[in-house]
This record gives sequence, structure tokens and C-alpha cells, in this order.
Amino acid sequence: MRRLNLGWCGMVLVLLGCLGAPSRASDDFEKHVRPLLLEKCVSCHGPNKVKGGLRLDTKDGWQRGGDSGPVIVPGDPDKSLLIQAVRQTGELKMPPKEKLKDTEIAALVRWIKDGAIDPRDGGPSRIGGVTVAEAKKWWSFQPVRRPGVPKSNYTNPIDAFIAAKLAEKKLTLSPIADKRTLLRRVTYDLTGLPPTWEEVEAFEKNNSPDAFAKVVDRLLASPQYGERWGRHWLDLVRYADTAGDNSDHPLPHAWRYRNWVIAAFNRDQPYDEFLREQIAGDLIAAKGPPEKYASRVVATGFLAMARRFEHDSDKAMHLTHEDGIDTLGKALLGLTLGCARCHDHKYDAISNRDYYALYGILDSCKFSFAGCEAKQQPRDLVPLISPEEWNRVVKPYREKLAKLDAEIRANTDARPKYAKAAQDAFEKSRKVLSTGEIPDGGDKRLPDSAIEVKPGEVVFLSITPLKNHGADTTLVEFEIAEIGGKERRWNATADLVDDLLAGNPHKDRHGNEHVWWLLDTRNQPLPLAEPVRDVSGKPGLHAWRNGDTPSAVVNSTKAEIAAWTKLPARSLFVHPAANGNVALAWLSPIGGKVKITGRIKDAHPGGPDGVGWVLEHFAVDVRTDLVGLAKAAEQRAALERQKAELVQSAPKQDVAFAVVEGKPADARIQIKGDPEKLGAAVPRRWLEALGGQPISSPTSSGRLDLAGWIASKDNPLTARVLVNRIWLHHFGKGLVQTPNDFGTRGIPPTHPELLDWLASEFVNSGWSIKAMHRKIVLSETYRQAAAHRADAAPTDANNDLRWRFDRRRLTAEELRDGLMSVAGTLDRTPGERHPIPPESSWGFSQHVPFSTFFETDRRSVYLINVRNRRHPFLGLFDGADPNATTPNRQATTVPTQALYFLNDPFFHAQAEKLGGRVFAKPEAERLTELFRLAAQRDPSQRDREFAERFLERYQKGLSDRPAADRPKLAWGALARIILASNEFLFVE
Amino acid sequence: MNSLSRRAFARSSLTGSLLLNGLLSDLLAADRPDPLAPKKPHFPGKAKSIIFLFMSGGVSHVDSFDPKPKLTTDHGKQVTFDHPETRNRPGYEKLFLKKPDWKFAPRGKCGIEVSDLFPELGRQIDDLALIRSMHTSHSNHYNATLGMHTGSFAFARPSIGAWASYGLGTENRNLPSFMVLAPQMPYAGTQVWASDFLPGAHQGTRVVPGAEPVANLRPRVAQPAQQKLELDALAEFNKAHLEHRTDDPALAARIKSFETAFGMQTEMPESLDLSKEDDKTLALYGLKRGQTDGFGWQCLVARRLVQRGVRFVELIHTGSSGNWDSHGNMADHGRLAKQVDQPMAGLIQDLKRTGLFDDVLVVWTTEFGRTPFNNTANNPGREHHNWAFTSWLAGAGVKRGHVHGATDEHGIRAVEKPVHVHDFHATILHLLGLDHTKLTHRHAGRDYRLTDVHGEVVKEILA
Repeated sequence: MRRLNLGWCGMVLVLLGCLGAPSRASDDFEKHVRPLLLEKCVSCHGPNKVKGGLRLDTKDGWQRGGDSGPVIVPGDPDKSLLIQAVRQTGELKMPPKEKLKDTEIAALVRWIKDGAIDPRDGGPSRIGGVTVAEAKKWWSFQPVRRPGVPKSNYTNPIDAFIAAKLAEKKLTLSPIADKRTLLRRVTYDLTGLPPTWEEVEAFEKNNSPDAFAKVVDRLLASPQYGERWGRHWLDLVRYADTAGDNSDHPLPHAWRYRNWVIAAFNRDQPYDEFLREQIAGDLIAAKGPPEKYASRVVATGFLAMARRFEHDSDKAMHLTHEDGIDTLGKALLGLTLGCARCHDHKYDAISNRDYYALYGILDSCKFSFAGCEAKQQPRDLVPLISPEEWNRVVKPYREKLAKLDAEIRANTDARPKYAKAAQDAFEKSRKVLSTGEIPDGGDKRLPDSAIEVKPGEVVFLSITPLKNHGADTTLVEFEIAEIGGKERRWNATADLVDDLLAGNPHKDRHGNEHVWWLLDTRNQPLPLAEPVRDVSGKPGLHAWRNGDTPSAVVNSTKAEIAAWTKLPARSLFVHPAANGNVALAWLSPIGGKVKITGRIKDAHPGGPDGVGWVLEHFAVDVRTDLVGLAKAAEQRAALERQKAELVQSAPKQDVAFAVVEGKPADARIQIKGDPEKLGAAVPRRWLEALGGQPISSPTSSGRLDLAGWIASKDNPLTARVLVNRIWLHHFGKGLVQTPNDFGTRGIPPTHPELLDWLASEFVNSGWSIKAMHRKIVLSETYRQAAAHRADAAPTDANNDLRWRFDRRRLTAEELRDGLMSVAGTLDRTPGERHPIPPESSWGFSQHVPFSTFFETDRRSVYLINVRNRRHPFLGLFDGADPNATTPNRQATTVPTQALYFLNDPFFHAQAEKLGGRVFAKPEAERLTELFRLAAQRDPSQRDREFAERFLERYQKGLSDRPAADRPKLAWGALARIILASNEFLFVE
Repeated sequence: MNSLSRRAFARSSLTGSLLLNGLLSDLLAADRPDPLAPKKPHFPGKAKSIIFLFMSGGVSHVDSFDPKPKLTTDHGKQVTFDHPETRNRPGYEKLFLKKPDWKFAPRGKCGIEVSDLFPELGRQIDDLALIRSMHTSHSNHYNATLGMHTGSFAFARPSIGAWASYGLGTENRNLPSFMVLAPQMPYAGTQVWASDFLPGAHQGTRVVPGAEPVANLRPRVAQPAQQKLELDALAEFNKAHLEHRTDDPALAARIKSFETAFGMQTEMPESLDLSKEDDKTLALYGLKRGQTDGFGWQCLVARRLVQRGVRFVELIHTGSSGNWDSHGNMADHGRLAKQVDQPMAGLIQDLKRTGLFDDVLVVWTTEFGRTPFNNTANNPGREHHNWAFTSWLAGAGVKRGHVHGATDEHGIRAVEKPVHVHDFHATILHLLGLDHTKLTHRHAGRDYRLTDVHGEVVKEILA
């Protein structure tokens, strides 16, 4: 563009952007502003440091602005953050260690007022760590273009691509592997299990050209396929059965997502749909059909699975979202988006604003809450049927409940009348027998009292909270003994401990009704109304209570119960409310002299203070009032019970740990990742480098849009990243060897054309993963032998060009499943939920977190994954990290693994089972049986000699064992050797 | 059997063919570097190994190593703070200074004051370098424990022990490079000793006092000769397999790993077996003969492990419960201190008399301190306090009888030369000869380090 002289109108100039003009404004900039910015600002806001995300060395820099948004409003100095900062009138004071001279500030003000004309082209616009132009040129951001297949004699294009690259180095593919090796390879690869000997035999005998293709079809159709390939996906999305917060709360519903993933692989759900459901399944579900509702809701477990943090995980959702964005970026796009939480990505085209654009989408959702130390109970679990469907199911119940509620409302509550009468009688006849306090952890015998009582009078032991700290569980012993007469005794513990819930008031052991009363005396005396059996899930711990407290509790068992505190066997406790007393009252059934003894003890020491007590005698006959009160209370309780039973029988809905829409809002930048330092809001939108489209409706979270942007054939990354993963799991390494990083720090593809051909093929096939497997597995590249080749190794030691198949170690799951499979102990039915204790009993803390490993004979994909405590076996053999996306398993070799094969009880048990299977055969067939079961081959002559020698020597060494046992033991030992061998542990 | 002949015994089980001496060892030396092979430090380090004593729950600095007479004279005075543990907490609207429960006195030749909580350790004060100006970023056990071990207060990252192993490898392949003597699980569970994205060989191996201190260590085959027979046969079978696969170091490494495991079966129990220690040594640690638990056992075993070349030994006292978290009553500190005082003092003396003190760095720390105030001055407990606490270093490369940094007059904030956990880590790595800014690992497109983007070596504490 040519220069236009538009100096009379600065605003127009700004609108035209890059134009410079010989004008007063431009002169001003050159004379006063440029040197000023350079001297005072650019050292912190320039190419070397970008404090606050702001650059002032280019026009683009201030136009984009920093964490707090654009800093200059051309034409309006007062609204420009830059001016506010240099004037140092507000919170932001710049430069930080000095103040500009008034003349300098005036120059800036004038410049902005004149339209902030800035002739500095100052280099190109940037996104994150690269320029826009660089971003546009980056290989993985280029649209996938289907390349031509190199000319060759191969029918499978994959081989043509591979052979062409090999040919450049004068190399060729290796010969096809032998049939047994190939079958073992493909069976482990597609199902995670070894083939059976029968399968090997059948394949070896089948000489038809499509024999291998048939095998592949059989394996892909088996349910074990999803258990193997679903696990790859679960690795990627850091699947776990616990939340990862400080108390690592279990996720009893997470298994639904796990099983959904397995099922999705088994039915070859198109990958784009698979992704869309994981990001926005609930929104798609709402559109029907109803039979797909549940699975789509479950699919959002991908988002919900994000790790929870800290003591109160509600307060650390910014970390959960980081985990969500990081995982979404790496797993679905091969981009390290998480790096842009605190600042622009240092190397890739991802800005801090991109991060918060996505953050806003996640933060506009409601995530199921797992429970945490501060709030034990889960909430916002998502029902598996639609609200309409649920309304239909629940309607009859709701009607019954409404009817009962109406009855309860209509029932005249006679309790206040009687309670007031009793209260009045008490007021008139109160005699305090003793009173006092015990400190925290205190234990006190009450002073003995001897009094004269008449039938219907009351002796009352009140326990009262001290200060404002609420109160504690208090052990109570209380006995009233008749002096003279029949010398009867009323011991509260003895009378109540066995059948506390039989009633309140409770009878004594002498056949008198209404003797013992457990009363809430905060206002008027009222019997504790709510019976609770097995408090906190502890059998034999029963209570009467009104709300949480006040309450009276017995441990009816013969052993101490460890609940919120240690509760000794066969004891009675009361717990006052924070705002008032609880009382144990004895309504005298006799007239005469009685002796009163008692003891109170703080049963839950550690709170800052203890409790007080008052022992009183009410010398007036209150039978009429109290019994009337009890009857009224019972009538009330009967209705409440009816209601409780009805509520108990309420229809229940299955739920998922999932995500639904929340309150849609754009997120504000968290400056340097600090959620308490908020900058400017960023509109929810797609990554700038991939188009930057805005969400379609501000009243939605934007997840449907996000799902669409990711699961799109126009997204250059999605298909490439996935076909690379499929390749990786078949061959041990990807065409891109950094499968979670397709950015500038990653390693570029070894075969870019092949990668694009696969990606385009994948999308054209309707995103079918199984079709991709067939294409790859049937290639000669896949079927090559693993043998070393002296001609190729010097040229390409790492086998980047794929001149052979890479031998690989079994994964942790394959090892365990393989052992159980050959031992005949594997339960092949799918696992469902883990036996996690009921939610109502939860009380996990950072002191005592959830950390239980449940045993199972099922496949390893069904083992529990605990976030804060690695599963010992999975940890030992490089299992997936349940806290971070795992694109590829490591294969370490450490001596503690060897110890496993030497001494682990599980390993020994499997070997013994295998030895037993073998030993059951006639002696001559045993070795063949062992090799066929464990190694899927017949033993060689050398193997036979080896085994014979070993069995003989081993039996000789068993001189301390009965001769009859020795052969079987020796076969067990031989089974251990084969199962611990490299041949068993490696696939080639 | 001494360790040399035991190794020879293990090796003899693999000498059935020439493979081991020739091909196998070539393979092992060749292109797959052993992650645990000893590595050169960045610069000559003073410490060859570390004993890391971790007191779980939060030790009160003002009751132990940080004397604050003003706290006693100002006992009961009301103070106002926006403190993370008392903010918006019912019953904590008002805060009052609370005096220490233990008396301080100058100890040793240097005259540094230590309280009566640690009388025995106090006698060793001339060998200690106290850092009274420690502070950390979180007031929650879980996060602060994670931070003290991994430098990260939320996310799972490699433990400092794993970093040390990654940086320097190990001297004794019959033992893991990083061992954790922990009777109970700590806060944050196994993340405390995880290797995370570093190779798995660097993760801590937990040793639990009792019958089977390490998983699968005890031979399940009744007679050692039978197990050896089995191992010989396994080696033979594996070597036959290797004959046609002579290029693959992974296969060879695994054959070798059985030799190491066999060695571990004897070396590990031997290193945990205190029966050969004389009565005088046991007495130093306050141990009864035959005792196989307690902090004295942990300390003496730690000395035996560093003697055998283990790079990093962590001792946790006690775990995520029954620990130093004395909210209810500071009297618990007295009971807990008794469990560790004599053993720690014994460890220092033992390291000195065995000459190990010049090569071994002893680190003592906790996840945070405890509040010098509470909601009433007479509240018997103290709350979590991440603004200030005391840690100490002793042994290789650090000054002796030295105090670094200081808190304010009430011990509330680290005011002089504050040392953050990241600085603490940088200093420990420095003493091993590792530059914390250079000890990095590329993971997911980024170079990670223990100190993230922070950390300054505390130079004044270096001898």
C-alpha cells in the first residue's frame, strides 16, 4: 500500500493499522514515545521478558495487550490501562521502581489522544511461541492431503510407503515371520492374551491365502479386543477409580466409563462420534434416541475423570481444569495446551488466551463431585435416564409422598402441649443434686446422691456443651438403686444397651414401661425421635437422635468400635448439640429412698474443651404429661416412619460420574495461573492457530462446538494423532515418536506421507479403527520377522525405517492376563463395579485416605486404579500413570521385577496351577503339554534334554519331601522357569 | 559370607556358557545405558549419599529449634493475621500468642539454643546447621508433604530421592538406589517416593519393618540350593533363547536382573539385620537387641544402607496418622520427640565414628511448622503453620554448629534470609554435586526439574 496523508484523522489511521504518516502525531511518536518505551518499558515488556504477557516493543504487542487485556484505547488516554499505570494512581504502578516525569506522561497521553499512531511494524504477529506465519507453516497444522502411493509391487499401500523409504537406504523389508510367531504377535496385539495351542495348530494348517485375514477378523470380533484396545484409551485419559484429592475419594461409578470405552472399541464406534460423545455426550443424548441416552451420558466420564485436588476439591477446580485441558490437548490433539496456563506457550502456537478460552468452556459445566475430606458425600452425579423419562418413572412415588406429607401436616401435633406442661412442672420442682464440668479428655465419677422419690417423679442427668466448641461424645454410666424395699437397681447401660431402639421412652428390666427417657432439652423436653441402626455403617452401633445431634448412642457389641472415635464395648454415650443439652432421665416407677451414682467421661478427646453436667430431681408426678408427650411423639414417629419407609422404597436411578451444563460464562485469565489474580475475560472459542471460531451460543457451555472442532475431518491433528497411536500400539513406536506432542518440541514423523495417507484413509473409512487395524496388520510391514539383520542394523539401528518388527515386552496387563490364561485361572467375564463401601459410611481423610486394592480373577483392565497409591503390580511393571496421560508404556528392567518372578505368591500360584494341568497328563505328554500351553509351540529336542536334566536334578534336591510328591513339585518348578523366561515375557 | 563371595556365588549360577562373560556383558555395556549406573555429578559434590529424616505432621519450631523468649513474655496477647489455617474458621475469630511448652538452653560449644524437647540431639548441636527461616507454599499436610518431596504442591512429580538417583545412579546394584524406611503410608501416599516420569528404576523402594520388609524378598522355595538350581535352569533356557537374538540388550538386561535379584535376596536382609552390630552401637540408637522396629531401627538401618552404597535413604516418622500433628495437645510432641531424639543423636555420633559423616548428608525436616498462636492462649494444641519452620542439615559439605536465617520475634514469619522448600532442594542437590537448574528431564515437550523455575542454593550454609 502507498502512503496516504491522513494525518488530520488519527482514528482512521489506527483503523488502517500499518500505515505511517509524516504528521505531528507520527513525529511525536518518534521523538517522545519510541525512546520512552524503549528506555523505560521494553526491558520487561519486550523480546527478552514478557511480564504480564505484555509487549510494548511492537504495535501488535499493545494491541493484543497482556493478562489484563489491551492496555491502550486509541483516542482515550483515561481509559488506557497504560496511562493509569504510569500515573500510578491505581493498584498497577509502572514502571515498578520509579515514576515517569510529568513531561513523559504528558507525551504518552498526547500520543494516545492523537490515536496512538505507531509506525513500528515491529515484526510479525505471534501466537504463543511462534509467529502467525510459522504457525501456519507448521507441518501438523497443515490440512491432511492424501498423498499418492509410491509405485511398487506391494498391494498394501503401507508396504509401498515403507519399502520406498527403505529403498532410499538400499534396504528391504524382512521376510514374513513364521506362523506361530505371527499368531502369538497378533493375538497379544489385538486381544492382550496369548493364543491357544489349538488356534496355533489351526492357523498352521490353513494354507489358504486369506488365513491370516480370517484370524484378524476373529480377533477383532472377540470381546477381548475391546479390553485390550480400550485399555490403550484408558491410559491416555488417565482413567482411575479414585478422584486424586487429598483423601483420594473413590469413584464408585467410574467403571461405567471404563466399560463404555471397552464397548465402544468392540462395536467399532466411529472415532469422531466416540470423541463427540466424550466431550458433549449429555447434550447429544438429549436429542435422542432414549436407548442411547445412558451410554452418552457415561461417555462424558472422559471430562469428569479429571483429577481432583486438595482438601476441598471444590476450591481447586482451576487445577482440575488444567488437568482436563492438558489431557484433552495431549490425548486428542497432540498439543501441550497445559503449558499455556501461566503464560503463552514458549514454543508452540498456543497462547495464554487460548488456554482460558477453553477453560471458560470447561468452567461453564457442572462436574460430578467425588466427595472430599471437607465434604464427604458425592453430589451432582448424573442420572442415566432423561429428566422426562425419570419424571414418568417417579410419578407414582411422588404422588404417594405428597399424600403422606399432607397427612402429616393435617395431624395435630400434640407434643408442644404436653412438653410445655412437663416443662412447667419441672420449673416448679427443680432440685439440683450436683453440677460440674469435665475438661477435654476428662473422666469423672458424679457425687453420690441419696433422695426420696415418689412414683412419677424424675431424676434427670443433663449433659451440656461448653463454650462455643459444640460438644463431644460423652460416655455415661448412670445407676439408681433402691435403698431398702426390693433393693432393685436401674442401670441405664444394662437396661438400654441390648435393645436401645425398642423405644424411647424405654422400659426397664423389671417390667415397667416408660422408665428411661432420652431427651432433647434444648427448648422444651422432647424425646430424641429418630432411631438409627448401625450408625456410620458400624454394625451394633445404634442411636436415637434429633438431626446429627443431640443424640444417644450405644455400642451393643462386645468389642470396641472405631468410628469417629474409639467407642468401648457395651457402653452408652450421649452427645449434646452445639446449642444445648441432651438428657438421660429416669421416671421413677417406685416410691422410696434411692441412691444415685454415675460417671461421665469424654469419649472423644482432642477437642479443645470438655462438657458440663447437671443432675436434677423433679419432685412432682409428671407421668401424665410425659407419657402424653411420649404418645404424641410416637404418633408423630409412626407417620415419619411410614414416610421413611416410602422414601426407602423410592425408585432409584443409576448414575454416572459425568459432566453436564453448568453456568455458562467466559473465564478470566488467571495471571501467572493464580486463580486469585484475575485478568481480562477471554471469550470462549477454539484455538486461534486452528481457526479461533467463537462458540455458537453464549448460553451454552460451548462443549458441542468444542466437540465439533476436535472431531472434524478439517482438524489437521485429530486423525493424524489417532492413526499415529494405532500405529504405535501395533509397532511399539509411532511414526511420530512423541505421540502426545505434535508441536515444535516433538519429533517430526519418520514417514510423513504414510502418516497422512493413513489419516486420510481413516477419515474416508468413516473413522473406523477396526478398518485401520486390518489395513496395518495385514501389511507385510507388520508381518515381518523380528530377527536381527546385519545388512540393515548399521544403517538404521533404531529401526525407524521399519526393516523388521520390533520385539517388545508384555505390558503389566498382558503379563498378568497371560499368566492366568495359561494357568487356566482367568475369569473372562467383564468386571463391573468395585466393592467400594457405601457412600454413607465414608469418612476418608488425608490421614486415612481410601486406598484399597480389591482382588479379582478377571482381566487386569478390571483391576482398581488408585490415584494416590500405585497398584503394586501395575506399578512394578510400568503400568499407566493414573494421574497423567500415558501415551506409551515404558518397559523398564529392574531387579524388583525379577524378585516378582522368584518369589511372588500370585506368580507361584499361577505356575503351580499350570504345573498341575501338565502333571495331570501321562508322563510322556507332559513336556509337550507344558510348551503348548505356556509357549504355544512344541518343545525342541534341546528343550527336551534341558527339561529332563532339570527335572532329574530338581527331584534329587527334594530329598526332604516325600518321594511321591517330588515329580509334581519338579513340574511346578519347570512351569515357573518357562513362565519367568524371556520367551514368555517378550512378543516378537 | 562377605559380599564379594556372595556376588561370585550369584555369578556362578550364570556361567554355564561363555555367553555371560563375552556376549552378555558386551550387550550390557553397549548401547542401552543402565539407568542406575553411577554417573558423574555436574561438579565434585561433597555428599555421596543422603539420609533424609522426615517428621510427618508438622513439628513446632517454637517448641524445638527456634527460641522465642518474646513469645513467653507476650503470652496471651491478641494478634491479628490473615492466616490460611484460621481464616473463616468458626471459633478462630480472635488469635492469641501462646508460649512454648519446652524450655530452651544453649547447647554444645557453639551455644545454639535447643529446647528440652530434643536433649540428646541438643548434645550434637556442634555438628548441625539449623535453618530457622524455612517456609513453604501450603498449609495442608498432603500438599506440603508432596511439596517437600517433589517440589510440586499439587501435581505428581518425581521425588527428590528419584532425582538424586537419576542424577547420580547408584554404587550397589544389589540394592535399590532410593530406599524409604516407612512403617506407615505418609500423606499423599506413594507419590512421596514416586519416580513419576523419570525411569521406573529411580522410584523409592519402601521398606516396612517386620517379617517381609520388601515385597517378594523372601525366597518361596524352601531350600536355597533348589532356588539356585531353578535360576541356573532359567538362565540356561534364556540363553538358548538369546542365541538367535544376540542383538537385543533388553533380553540380556533381564537375564542380568535375575542375578541382581538373587543378590538382593541376601544383601537386603543382611543390610536390615542388626544382629552383627555390637551392644555399644545398639545403645547409641537406643535399641534393644533383637528389636526390628522403631525409629532407632530405621536410623541404624539407614546407616547400614548408605554404607552399602545406597544413594538416598528416607526415614519417615511416622506416617499420615499418629504423627506430629498436635492440634489437640502439644504434649504429643514430647512423646514423639522421645521416639526420635536418641536415635537421631546416635546416628550423628555413629556416622562420625565410622567416618561416614564426611560423605553422608543428613537432612531433617517436616512439612511445615506450627502456629505460635491459637484461638485461646491456653489451647493446648497448635495449628498448621507454613510461614515459618526449622529444618537442619548435618554432615557432608555443611557448616557445623551454625544457624541460618531467623524468624520474627514471635516465630511467626521467616524474616531473615528466608529459605523456601525450592531453595532447600537446590541446596541438597548442590551438596550432591548437582546443579538444580541442569538436572532436567524432558517430558511431554518440556524440561522438568525438581525446583520447577525456582530455587537458590543457600551458599552461607556450605562449609
